[in-house]
Amino acid sequence: MNKNVLEIIDALTAHQDSDSIRVLEELGTNSPDNEVREYTSRALVRKNVHDSLKIVIINQGKGINDLSPAVAMSTINEILALKDKGEVIKILDDTINMHSDETVKENARSVKSLLALS
Amino acid sequence: MAKIIKIGSQNLTPKIANPFKTSRNSTTNPFKYSNFEGNTLQFADVFEGFEPKKTNKLRMIASSVAGSMTKLRSSIAEPIVNFVNRVRGGISNAWDYAKNTNLGEIKGLRTISAVMDKAKESMNKGLSDTVDFLNQDVTTFGKGISANITGFGSELSAKWADLISKMNYKKISAETPVAELEAMWRNEIALEAGGAV
Repeated sequence: MNKNVLEIIDALTAHQDSDSIRVLEELGTNSPDNEVREYTSRALVRKNVHDSLKIVIINQGKGINDLSPAVAMSTINEILALKDKGEVIKILDDTINMHSDETVKENARSVKSLLALS
Repeated sequence: MAKIIKIGSQNLTPKIANPFKTSRNSTTNPFKYSNFEGNTLQFADVFEGFEPKKTNKLRMIASSVAGSMTKLRSSIAEPIVNFVNRVRGGISNAWDYAKNTNLGEIKGLRTISAVMDKAKESMNKGLSDTVDFLNQDVTTFGKGISANITGFGSELSAKWADLISKMNYKKISAETPVAELEAMWRNEIALEAGGAV
């Protein structure tokens, strides 16, 4: 992965502006490069806010629902590493209860189980 | 008759009577003591084939020349005096013609002169055309080099600008505006898509 892109993602992760989440989603999670998608998903999890966590949990093909197992597992590991898991558990519950896609529901259920075991 | 027989038997020596008689028995060379003076050998033509006949080359050449002369003389249809007079007259006329004729009036010379002038003109024109062609070629070559240098300079300038823009990324931090970070990211995506380093 390009070193400049890495630095840009880090800067956006540390940024307090909510627009940084939009940029990460638009350019990072939609990137054709697996490494960029993986690094962006972890950055969104580290932000640990509702809007950023929602992107990697409820969107099909992104975060824990990514077609690349490496990206999905890396995102799950980052979620498990969070100190404050309150916001992520809330979003997982909403997804399990209300999401229309069964695959997304199943993935959210699995992550919640892992959180309960950790 | 009786006298003749007597003379023959008393005065003639056995040698004269038979010249080969004694020599054949006493020496290896049967002619050693023989004297053929005054005698003619019988069957002399027997030895004729042993000596090669010497041909006289000078005589053969002379004969050949004489034959050629005869042939030449027979080929001249007119008398030799008339022939000589005609040749002498021809030479005299040629001399008079050469003496009284202006060289410029000779038709052949005029033609040759015209051809030479034409050739000289063509050569001059050819040289001039060649110089013009070379001049154009050098000019085109120079323009090509100039265009290449300009293109190379533009390309170098673009690469240099890219390098400078990448060096600006060192100031990337959380304080950098999101819009600027987004622009930088999009620029990186465009560079990677274009194959640029």
